[in-house]
Amino acid sequence: MKPSPFTYHAPESIAEATALLAELGDDAKALAGGQSLVPMLSLRLAAFEHLVDLNRVAGLNAIERVNGHLRLGATVRQATAEHSAEVKSSVPLLARALPHIGHFQIRNRGTVGGSIAHADPASELPAVALALDAVIEAAGPGGTRRIAASDFFVSTWETALNDGEILSAVEFPVWSGRCGFAVEELTRRHGDFAIVGTAVGVQVDGDAVTKATIALFGVGATPLRASEAEAALMAGADVAEVARAATAGLTPSDDVHASGAYRTQVAAVMVRRALTKAIQEARA
Amino acid sequence: MSDETVVQFTVNGRSRRVVVEPRKLLSDVLREDLHLTGTHVGCEHGACGACTVMVDGAAVRSCLMFAVQAAGSEVVTVEGVTPTDGTLNTFQQAMQDCHGLQCGFCTPGFVVSMTSYLADNPAPTDDDLKIALSGNLCRCTGYRGIINAARTAAGLPVPANAADGSDH
Amino acid sequence: MAATTGPNTVSAGRYVGQAVKRLEDPRLLSGHGRYVDDVQLPGMLHVAFVRSSVARGTIVSIDTAAALALPGVHAVYTGADLNPRVGMFWHTMMGPPPELGGQTPYAPLTPLAGDDVRFVGDPIAVVIADNRYIAEDAADLVEVEIDAQQAIVGWETALDTDQRVHPGMASNVGQEMPATEVPEVEALFAGAPHVFTRRFAQCRATNVPMEPRGIIVHFDQYAGDMQIWAATQSASEWKATASRLTGVAEHRVKVVANDVGGGFGQKMMMTRDEAAVVMAAHLFGEAPIKWTEDRRESLMTANQGREEICDVTFAVTDDGVLLGAKVVFWEDIGAYPSAASSIAGMAGAVFPGPYKFPVVLPSGSTLYTNTVGKAAYRGPWMIETVAREQMMDHIAYELGIDPIEIRRRNVIHADDLPYTTCTTMVYESVTPSETMEQALEMLDVAAFRAMQAEAREQGRLLGMGVSIYIEPSAVAFGILSSDQAIMRMDNSGKVIVAMSTGNHGQSLETTIPQIVAEHLGCNIEDVLLVQGNTESSPTGPGTGGSRSAVVAGGAAMTAALKLKDKIVQIAAHMLEASPDDMEVNESVVSVKGTPAKALPFAMIAPIAYQMPEMLPQGMEMGLEVTARFQPAGQYTWSNATHVCTVEIDPETGMTKILRYIVSEDCGRMVNPMVVEGQIAGGVVQGIGGVLFENMIYDDDGNPLCTTFLDYLIPTAPEVPDIEVGHIETLAPGLTGFKGMGEGGAIAAPPCVANAIHDALRHLGIHPTTFPLGPSQVLQLLNDAKG
Repeated sequence: MKPSPFTYHAPESIAEATALLAELGDDAKALAGGQSLVPMLSLRLAAFEHLVDLNRVAGLNAIERVNGHLRLGATVRQATAEHSAEVKSSVPLLARALPHIGHFQIRNRGTVGGSIAHADPASELPAVALALDAVIEAAGPGGTRRIAASDFFVSTWETALNDGEILSAVEFPVWSGRCGFAVEELTRRHGDFAIVGTAVGVQVDGDAVTKATIALFGVGATPLRASEAEAALMAGADVAEVARAATAGLTPSDDVHASGAYRTQVAAVMVRRALTKAIQEARA
Repeated sequence: MSDETVVQFTVNGRSRRVVVEPRKLLSDVLREDLHLTGTHVGCEHGACGACTVMVDGAAVRSCLMFAVQAAGSEVVTVEGVTPTDGTLNTFQQAMQDCHGLQCGFCTPGFVVSMTSYLADNPAPTDDDLKIALSGNLCRCTGYRGIINAARTAAGLPVPANAADGSDH
Repeated sequence: MAATTGPNTVSAGRYVGQAVKRLEDPRLLSGHGRYVDDVQLPGMLHVAFVRSSVARGTIVSIDTAAALALPGVHAVYTGADLNPRVGMFWHTMMGPPPELGGQTPYAPLTPLAGDDVRFVGDPIAVVIADNRYIAEDAADLVEVEIDAQQAIVGWETALDTDQRVHPGMASNVGQEMPATEVPEVEALFAGAPHVFTRRFAQCRATNVPMEPRGIIVHFDQYAGDMQIWAATQSASEWKATASRLTGVAEHRVKVVANDVGGGFGQKMMMTRDEAAVVMAAHLFGEAPIKWTEDRRESLMTANQGREEICDVTFAVTDDGVLLGAKVVFWEDIGAYPSAASSIAGMAGAVFPGPYKFPVVLPSGSTLYTNTVGKAAYRGPWMIETVAREQMMDHIAYELGIDPIEIRRRNVIHADDLPYTTCTTMVYESVTPSETMEQALEMLDVAAFRAMQAEAREQGRLLGMGVSIYIEPSAVAFGILSSDQAIMRMDNSGKVIVAMSTGNHGQSLETTIPQIVAEHLGCNIEDVLLVQGNTESSPTGPGTGGSRSAVVAGGAAMTAALKLKDKIVQIAAHMLEASPDDMEVNESVVSVKGTPAKALPFAMIAPIAYQMPEMLPQGMEMGLEVTARFQPAGQYTWSNATHVCTVEIDPETGMTKILRYIVSEDCGRMVNPMVVEGQIAGGVVQGIGGVLFENMIYDDDGNPLCTTFLDYLIPTAPEVPDIEVGHIETLAPGLTGFKGMGEGGAIAAPPCVANAIHDALRHLGIHPTTFPLGPSQVLQLLNDAKG
């Protein structure tokens, strides 16, 4: 289990990085935390002639408030975000999702941007980005563009990033008012990829739910938003009913850990438990 | 084969220079080029934790980094967390006292992980400790001695029903 | 008998019975262990394998040209290069194959695949290169064309098909223990008040030593010597195997196993991969070559365990008293098992376990399939306990009797001893009833039942399980029957003891010195165990099969007593006293009651080596003794009872273990801390086998669990605190020690399964099949709802 040979590049600016990636095309891959990419290389499930390491690119590791959003640079480590007071207070859903990622040694190296760009459908951060309608900033040789999370996740390990583009930052909207958030997932062991999970957020006004978001992960080729169920929740449906609506029509696949039918059934449980927690928190 | 490159970094406080292929994993460079064989390779996909080292103060999997990425960094291995006066550090000593190791292969990963974790988290709860231990696999001990060692090192109570090492 | 739930043992001496801290720990804790992959030799080259990607097929062609052309590649060997050079390939422990006069049926073993491949991962070629990276690059360049055929997967397929895993064999049956028709037993079953039948199944698991396999072989063609460094449980076994393979005379082969990162049975016998490295080094002859198995290879190709079916039929009275049992075992042994079967020989014989069965009729078959071969895995016969202990609960519920009560009605009590089972096993010193009562007391059954009832009112699912077993430790047959201690006191009064054992986690570097220091009368710091080295250690079984405390411990104790006797004779002669009047304490021999008349070992030893005139007349110089120890019986029986409680999430099927309790009787404990460590390790492997671990193959024989993301072993948050109680009844014979290394892994699976059963039975759910992970349990709950 040793990687195939590659040429290593360690650009120090976004311009340099994107120029390299554009020039090298399919033969190159951007490397951030490497917690998913390096094992794939070692298992020789993937091989690239060039690796472009983003870890030395300047200006990619800031956490800052911008226009009602919390902006995290591409190479902000998951552990840094996890322990950031700003993340905890501004984007509680992200703060709650982070401890579910692997183990602390993984989060010490893994990045928030890398996890989203890797777009594993069973991982937490893509679902959080989708749930919160985060904006993904893509930097390319021609400058930057902004991609809505709902347009970003194309399929398993496939995103809307073009050749030559890197994910340079993610901007998470900051919710205001009486809000509650929860991440519920089922894993065989602590730190495993979720068999199925959900990230939810609600905003309440008295008994009414005025804003709701429900994203599911581990149930398809990308994280999924349950928009109809969100609407039902805001229309006053009870959480069990909402959970059923959120998971109706899902067709998750089977793997060694669980069948698709199991995932669908348990997804509803996770959604119900998450919404119950989030609503409780919002009303507290 | 890709060209070899020079990597200069600090390992256990000493400045080191190696010439390696960029694809060479940090774990392999520590073991083969620097002869620091305490860093063990148990899975090479980031799941077992045996290869854990500290890079710039943070515990990470050395099998998930290329050595070239550590250029300019400070790396500390299990050899480096061990006192040089022939004693053991607090967690290491607790591991011996609580029988936290049998075959010893996974042990360096637990030692580096928990030495680092307890330095950053001096007052964990019992559940915190178990979660902190979840990134390292052990197949011999059933974790009983390891959990008790972590509790001991963190100053948390150990269940009464356990034979621990006497002072022989 | 002495009972305690704490660490102190009643028979504790100065060292034996004490929780002595391990002497091997400082080097292992500080990163200074010496595992095989840590060894770097000048000029050493590295091996990677080319392996089959299909489970069954004919090799059409192998093209190694591109691989050989890669810079840094030294050789690529295929089966055509290595297989014809093999002298013999069989294991000392199993004896020779029938064609060489033995009785063990072996699969047709060749180091590399010959004309065909027989499982995914089957080694096809060996690449030798400057380093492992280049070796893997080259392995990718070897082009292998295989004409794939439908794989034979699953024991039932193997039984039914006219295709053969091993072409030319009459059937896919590896070994058969035929069913016997006994008219009296048939009459008994026909007339029994109740006859119940169940099929119990456990899924395939694998040992997962944290250090995968590894071997370095240096054949010095000029000297004619072969040196091997290996991750093995038995250096002796590997020395003999390497000699038979290569024809290098056995005394010219040296095997060194320093620290070994776990084995659990997988590293006992030399397997085909390691044999291929031995053969490659023998052919290459220029430089040492190293193969370090990676984790994918380990999960895909290292021998595996479990995957057994057991059909059980019990005849019982209305009161649940056992009248007899018929037991049929089916075992999937893959393509190249390291031993043909673990079941046929042992499981039937030990099936009665802790109960008074008037009759048990065992039978069984092992089936070759196109999957990884089977090896010993911690208690390799344990399907008998898995089936028997679950069956006790099934019949209890059928008859409306509490599972604890039905055990009380059938378990062997102290006043039954000595007891000979219906399968002719003789128990002299076991305590199944006492351990059960101790474990149940530790739980407080009444309090749990109250909690369970209250929880059930709230829709929560709690359950408790019990399992009892009697462990056939230190199985003594063939080379396993004995071990030797070669003991010498050096000039300074320190002791070196050399044994055939090995260090892969058993703490022998501490426990053997404990035994020696206790019985020689010296300080433990003055004793060093040398093991895992065929030049300094005797020929013997190595470490495995819960044997070292009994067999090696017995040899160490015997040698210590012999050496002490000689030392005392020398001291008595010098002090002009009778040897009978001497006592030994802390390395000093003195006249009883006259402490001033004393000589330390450090003064006696130089006399023995340098001053023959001061020795008693006729005494041979020196302080060297050897002692070979053979236990009295074929088995040394230990026993234990496990009790656990679980809670199941009715909506997800997830099981959480709330408490886990073990009451253990392993005789006189050398080191209770080490005993408890072995228990905990075994229990967690057992928990893994029910809740987490499942080595799955698809219908084409593709292994689906080749990383640690797919094959899940338990981690710290999943395991409960394991509570241990001890009962000490001495084993018959010199030492009183009983082996106990495998028991935890034997009793835990049915204990957990019985707790799950107890949590679900009121819903009409009666599980019989492992794994019982969340998806399986939720399926059972869904099915029960209809």
